[in-house]
Amino acid sequence: MPNKTLAQSFRNELPWLLLVAPAFLIYTVLTIIPLFHTFFYSFTNFNGLVPNPDFVGLDNYLRVFSTRAVSTSFSNSIVYAIAVPLIITLLAIPLSLLLDSQMRTRNLQRAIFFFPSVISALFLGYIWNFVLSPSSQGLVNSLLLSFGQRKLLLLADPKAAMVLLILVTVWTSTGWHACIYLANLQVIDQALFEAADIDGAGALQKFRYITFPNLAPAMTISVLFLLLNSLKVFDLPFSLTEGGPGYATTMVTQSIITEGVNSNRIGFASAMSMMFLALIALVTFFQVGVMSKREEKLA
Amino acid sequence: MRKRYTGTTLVTEFIMLAFCIVFMVPIYYLFVSTFKTRQEIIEAPLALPGSLNLVNYMRALETMDFFRHFFNSLLITSLSVLLIVVMGSMAAYTIARRPNRLTRFLRSYFLIGFMVPLQTTMLPLFLIMKHLGLINTYQGLIFLHSNGAVFALFLYTGFIRAMPRDLEEAAFVDGAGVFRTFWRIVFPLLRPVTATLVIFNTIWIWNDFLLSYLFLSSNDKSTLIMQVYNGVGLYFTDWSIMMPVLVLAVTPMIIFYLFMQRHIVAGLTTGSLRG
Repeated sequence: MPNKTLAQSFRNELPWLLLVAPAFLIYTVLTIIPLFHTFFYSFTNFNGLVPNPDFVGLDNYLRVFSTRAVSTSFSNSIVYAIAVPLIITLLAIPLSLLLDSQMRTRNLQRAIFFFPSVISALFLGYIWNFVLSPSSQGLVNSLLLSFGQRKLLLLADPKAAMVLLILVTVWTSTGWHACIYLANLQVIDQALFEAADIDGAGALQKFRYITFPNLAPAMTISVLFLLLNSLKVFDLPFSLTEGGPGYATTMVTQSIITEGVNSNRIGFASAMSMMFLALIALVTFFQVGVMSKREEKLA
Repeated sequence: MRKRYTGTTLVTEFIMLAFCIVFMVPIYYLFVSTFKTRQEIIEAPLALPGSLNLVNYMRALETMDFFRHFFNSLLITSLSVLLIVVMGSMAAYTIARRPNRLTRFLRSYFLIGFMVPLQTTMLPLFLIMKHLGLINTYQGLIFLHSNGAVFALFLYTGFIRAMPRDLEEAAFVDGAGVFRTFWRIVFPLLRPVTATLVIFNTIWIWNDFLLSYLFLSSNDKSTLIMQVYNGVGLYFTDWSIMMPVLVLAVTPMIIFYLFMQRHIVAGLTTGSLRG
């Protein structure tokens, strides 16, 4: 518009900009600025106390690989972030089909399976600690003892601890993900199933050719949440095992906090968090890429 | 064509109910143990308590100063959720209805936030918050939680885009400004998304541990969750106190869940499949 002056168009845009301003400011201060700081610190020996840290190049990054406790935490996180999404997805889809069936108590069952999702993960860790404690006070061990068996090490066994942590996570989150699939199941066009019935398709064929492909949108969301949340997990391992025994269940997130907050090695912890961010970005791009292809096929 | 209730359904129903019972054992164990003495917990862990013994609860209420921390959690959660809804919906309105180079940039700018985990930003964030004098304050933690507006923004944007513009345009023609139009006409129409966001953010913020652990661990202002954590060293040796403490601390969310349960599956539809 030639006769519209710059001032006028600014006046028009101003209220629109004011609407975005609060979110923009908060987000910039709380995410973007600290992100740049972390990036900068990761090349220094900053410890939070001396104001002018030295530039140390890539030292911190190299130390991530050579520090045993830290590289272990990266591999723990990766193992956890592969196992948890895989097991939960394999369980949540069948569970959602069951919860979608005509059972009389299905609402009760939905409520039960979703229930752990409303409780703080920290507390779920404590609750499972009562069950899996290596002491004779723990539920599993006191049951074993009362049946005349020997008690088990459970969470104190370095090999068992990770497996138990994964199983507890499956217990806490499968219900939530089943509900995501359930929500998706309810919007699948019923005419597809009727057509399949006319063609004489069996239950398995209907699942293979109709239900499963049509669950693609839910799967994108669910798997993405699962991957990100299992990489970012902190509360549950922290309260269930405190990362132990030894470093058996120490996750990257806990390791970053130990190094950066408790030991003041901010430079080093920043390098870890940048690598952690890279891992998350990689997983997100890969996952969204693969999954949206599946959704396109659907459309 | 509705599926019918057949013999197979009946069998499945029984198997599933049995499975539900096994699923709830840890929760059941927690609840029954709170009424027992230490001796009873060890000797008959799954048995019902001999009597409805409330001594443990009285001791727990006292040691954890329940009501004070309950109100701390309530204050922090409600104000944070309010800020998230207000800031998220306002920003979404501009991004959805003003497609130009600036708002397209803003959209990608906000999208970065989805990927950046708190663990990557928390160390500088701690120094920034310290600098602003916001460590161990209510405002500080609320400010941090309000960053959840970015997630809200994307849910709202998707929803607004799918809405017809007629009503808004009529309002503009009548001379209403952008703010007035937004609050009077658009915001009320966003109710399904707002409900979803309120439910899920309430659960997330109430249950948050990491942010409180880093930024508000002071004893008198801490949330219920943080208070349990602060006491763990003290209580954990004595399960007969630790267990009722946990039960008391989870009760508010269980009540919230019972009221909101109906909306949750619906919420997941608006939440994840539309946005």
